Amino acid sequence: MTAMRSSLDVTLSVWKALFLREAVTRLAAGRGAWVWLLLDPVAQIAFLMVIFSAIRARAGAGVDFTVFLAIGVLGYQMFRSPADRAMEAIAANAALFSYRQVKPIDAVISRCLLEGLLQILVAAVLMSGTALLGLEVLPRDPLQFGAAYALLWCFGTGLGMALSVGNVLVPEIGKIARLVFMPLYLVSGVMFSPHILPPAARDWLMLNPVMQGIEMMRVSFFSSYPPLPSLDRGYLAGCALLALFLGLALQVRYARRLVTL
Amino acid sequence: MIILDDVHKRYRTEHGAGKWVLRGITLDIPARCSVGLIGHNGAGKSTLLRLIGGIDQPTRGRIERRCRTSWPLGLAGGLQGSLSGRQNAKFVCRLHGDDREIVERVAYIEDFAELGEAFDDPIKTYSSGMQARLKFALSLAFEFECYLVDELTAVGDATFRVKSREAFKALAGKSMLIMVSHEERTLKDYCQSGVLLTGGQAQWFDKIDDALAAYRAAEAQAHGP
Repeated sequence: MTAMRSSLDVTLSVWKALFLREAVTRLAAGRGAWVWLLLDPVAQIAFLMVIFSAIRARAGAGVDFTVFLAIGVLGYQMFRSPADRAMEAIAANAALFSYRQVKPIDAVISRCLLEGLLQILVAAVLMSGTALLGLEVLPRDPLQFGAAYALLWCFGTGLGMALSVGNVLVPEIGKIARLVFMPLYLVSGVMFSPHILPPAARDWLMLNPVMQGIEMMRVSFFSSYPPLPSLDRGYLAGCALLALFLGLALQVRYARRLVTL
Repeated sequence: MIILDDVHKRYRTEHGAGKWVLRGITLDIPARCSVGLIGHNGAGKSTLLRLIGGIDQPTRGRIERRCRTSWPLGLAGGLQGSLSGRQNAKFVCRLHGDDREIVERVAYIEDFAELGEAFDDPIKTYSSGMQARLKFALSLAFEFECYLVDELTAVGDATFRVKSREAFKALAGKSMLIMVSHEERTLKDYCQSGVLLTGGQAQWFDKIDDALAAYRAAEAQAHGP
């Protein structure tokens, strides 16, 4: 008989099992789930390209507009995708809570980890494709670029943890959150640079942590993209920390009510 | 060994806190002991089993498991509908650690459940009998020191029942067992001792026969002559 496992051992094996379980359903569900995963950001970028070539937008000297859009779309997805998918994580795994090792928070965390990994893979494929077209795809400051990308994931994950609890306790919260994601896309600077806005509007919009993250990615990517005075490197990190804390606190507070079989 | 110390449980209902299902259960269930939980419907047998299994937490009191305890076998849930039987089996194996044994365990589960090609179909296409077979095979694939069983033995068709009864008996002889059942014969077959649940309180009997007799007496009194 094997000895009792430590809590850490149990948690790690639960995360591994749930991660693989999520990966199977995410990638094997429906026809060509892989294709859709890639097609989604590509379609967004292509769509925005068409619109903005019609109204002749520009992102600044020495900044390629395709790459500019790609960073916006990928950055926003890195935030939205874990937040959005985490909301359903608890309901989707309810049957598995009859194993006491599996807690709701484990389902949320493993789903967010999977989304993060998938987004990185999508970004890598997309950027390699862009490189084949002869565009510059290596960031000027890879470390800061990666940090901003990772912080967007942390913010989305924290929000997802909180929303997943809210969605179980008050199902309307999920619907409202999905409604909010749409205007958030518009005010997060995915398709425009805040440089083109009047300073007053710009300062207000820069209160949005997602906008901060996307701008941080752009500044650390292009050597000729100037940082806004209101770009604060600690702001997104603070928001991400706050969201993670809030999410974990709600998960702990309502842990019992989330497991209803 | 499993220790229950003044365990209280009530559920939250739409109108606030519900009535107490369990009110102050204190039990020391010794290792290698097989216990039958007896009581009429709604007496809190399954609730108690879920608490011991760690799926739910007591409202008050404390439960300590000092052995490797199974999940409550026979209860609803435990299978992910969108995954195949094989994927579910792998999932449960991974949960219980030790990656090296996954291949053998999954092979054992596939062999015991006798689902044929359906083992690779999604669970949502399974009949309830097929699900029960898979769940039973899953529970046999691990060596627990304590098994929690809720009306498990009544699954599958006749041949599968005989096979599962024998397999389970071999296992139950080696380990601790806490069983909920309404069939007297099943209880007498598997259990030495009994716990009678009435009004949220538990009463321990060293012999299952005494527990069953007390249960019958209480029932007779409640329903009149």
